[in-house]
Amino acid sequence: MTATPYRIIVCDGTSCINKGSRKLTAILREQLDKHGLADRTTIGLSGCLGMCDKGPIMVVNPGYTIYGRLTEADIPEIVEEHLVNNRPVARLVIQEDHLYNRFFRVFGDAKFFGKQMRVTLRNCGIIDPENIDDYLSLRGYEALAKAITEMTPDQVVAEIEKSGLRGRGGAGFPTGRKWRLTANEKATPKYVICNADEGDPGAFMDRSAIEGDPHTIVEGMAIGGYAIGAERGVVYIRAEYPLAIKRIEKAIADARAHGLLGKNILGSNFSFDIEIRLGAGAFVCGEETALIHSIEGARGMPRPRPPYPAAVGLFGKPTLINNVETWANVPVVILDGANWFRTVGTETSKGTKVFALAGKVVNTGLIEVPMGTTLREIIYDVGGGIPFGKRFKAVQTGGPSGGCLPEQYLDTPIDYESLTKAGSIMGSGGMIVIDEDSCMVDVARFFLEFTQDESCGKCTPCREGTKRMLEILVRITEGKGKPGDIENLERLGNMIKKSALCGLGQSAPNPVLSTIKNFREEYEEHIRDKKCRAKACKCLVSYEIGDKCIGCGACKRVCPVGAISGSPKTKHTIDQDKCVRCGLCFNTCKFEAIAKV
Amino acid sequence: MPTPLELIKKKRAEAVSRIIGKGYLSTKRVYVGMATCEIAAGSKDVMEVFQKAVSRGLTDVYLSQKGCAGRCNLEPTVEVIEAGKSPVKYGKVDKDRAQQIIERHLKNGEIIKEWVID
Repeated sequence: MTATPYRIIVCDGTSCINKGSRKLTAILREQLDKHGLADRTTIGLSGCLGMCDKGPIMVVNPGYTIYGRLTEADIPEIVEEHLVNNRPVARLVIQEDHLYNRFFRVFGDAKFFGKQMRVTLRNCGIIDPENIDDYLSLRGYEALAKAITEMTPDQVVAEIEKSGLRGRGGAGFPTGRKWRLTANEKATPKYVICNADEGDPGAFMDRSAIEGDPHTIVEGMAIGGYAIGAERGVVYIRAEYPLAIKRIEKAIADARAHGLLGKNILGSNFSFDIEIRLGAGAFVCGEETALIHSIEGARGMPRPRPPYPAAVGLFGKPTLINNVETWANVPVVILDGANWFRTVGTETSKGTKVFALAGKVVNTGLIEVPMGTTLREIIYDVGGGIPFGKRFKAVQTGGPSGGCLPEQYLDTPIDYESLTKAGSIMGSGGMIVIDEDSCMVDVARFFLEFTQDESCGKCTPCREGTKRMLEILVRITEGKGKPGDIENLERLGNMIKKSALCGLGQSAPNPVLSTIKNFREEYEEHIRDKKCRAKACKCLVSYEIGDKCIGCGACKRVCPVGAISGSPKTKHTIDQDKCVRCGLCFNTCKFEAIAKV
Repeated sequence: MPTPLELIKKKRAEAVSRIIGKGYLSTKRVYVGMATCEIAAGSKDVMEVFQKAVSRGLTDVYLSQKGCAGRCNLEPTVEVIEAGKSPVKYGKVDKDRAQQIIERHLKNGEIIKEWVID
């Protein structure tokens, strides 16, 4: 093989220097000269790479092969074997080439990433997602190869079980148990499904994960297929994600071309292929049984469980269905090991969680933190706090199925159990920060309006119950609330939770119930005093012109209903009976003379 | 018959060679964020500026795209990675900034501090 040029980084931290790294660099240069590689290889020095105990360290790029505990005698071997013959010297490679936290070499110095830990997003924002070579160069498909070569399907399932990985789609069902149940089923053929029907308002974790690193999903699904004995996989993704679809399609095609999907993968007896099914964007199709119906060509409606898809799934066959983020964890568990995976997270929730951080926070973005990180750390350290010096009011987790947590819960460590205990849920990872300018009744109304709209209509509690709840909420925000409304909302909400058919209905009342629990006084103010303290409910605010008014007439000109009167250069007034509370005058006034009360 | 694990390691080595063949060892690597959100913020235009510059003879640059790095409020983002130096990440890059990054940073080695994301 002809020699390929490389970029070599030698750690130039104090510890490595003490262990003789500079001498190694000199020898490296000599050796490169000797083999005539000097002009095709670059040597760079880096600051401390943080692996002092294993120094001296040398990294060979591309490929990110890390050599450690090097002695002078090792250098000629590395040059000869790795640089000339393109065969990394396994003996000297230290086990630091984890899949997780690769971003440190690109982003490690940025504050935003300080508390983050990247496992599922390990390649996002680092590799070219449309180039399989980029993925392969970072140990892509090695987990699949390892599973096929060194592990029996049973061992793969056991590894996932041991890792403690739980479903990242929201409910947190132990992934290993799901795999075991499906693997134990006798019926064939079996299927593997990736649930990429992400629908929570404000959530974009799955889209970003697929767009940034589609091969991870393909690899994870192939490992799942091997573990449970399936030969076909389906990615169910919504049609609103054209770029994600394009990239995963390309990833599947490239993987096929490399023999990583299709018949006899990597020369083994294992065959597996993936196809894509597009969803039309119904929220309920994220529910697994509804999703399966949709793939089968039926109407996307859930059915009662059990039987679970593990036994009776796609086309009535055993089916392993996991969320995008769950699949992305699989190669890491296989390659870095369940033992490592278990070291991250809390007692009951292992690993990391991706959140789409949105709302009133300085650094909106896609983040990944270890389980057990507190809400405060996410919002203030990663998110950078609330902009414009406003006060934090609540954080909404879990999207329309979750709840709103006020300030006293900020130190809650994030895991499935503690969030549930606090009255919200982990959900798929939407996290919306709410500041003092938002009305909690209005927030609850927004989420309920969404779930009400997305209700498939199959079961009465969800179809009718959420409708009635929404009517009450709308009335309250319009200032027409009545005593007893709060109690009715609670009664209805709890009833729907207990009786709805699927997760959509069972969780739909959560935003309302949690805001009543944590912000009851806001509901009471709306009903009793007809006041909205956040001044967000249009019907409950009025506009008044104060003494700062110079009579310029700007407000008068923009008022669409002619509610403002006054002669030039004198203070104007608003006729409250005519005013439609559109706020145009408030936004137009240059003298801050108009107040919202 | 090589095992799947041996095969994948060979594939990895080949992939590495191909990446090198595409100019990975150029002194400057430029990554333009190209997720849906970045494209919506205008990264396609930014990419075009860089592509044009490369086709018009900007040398020593390895131009590539990347997915979402999570900095939604600062998009479009562009990263410039140089051997032996800390990576430089630019935020809110538009056509004009892209052109200036080419002129000032890529050609003259000046890091344009006011656009750098910390």
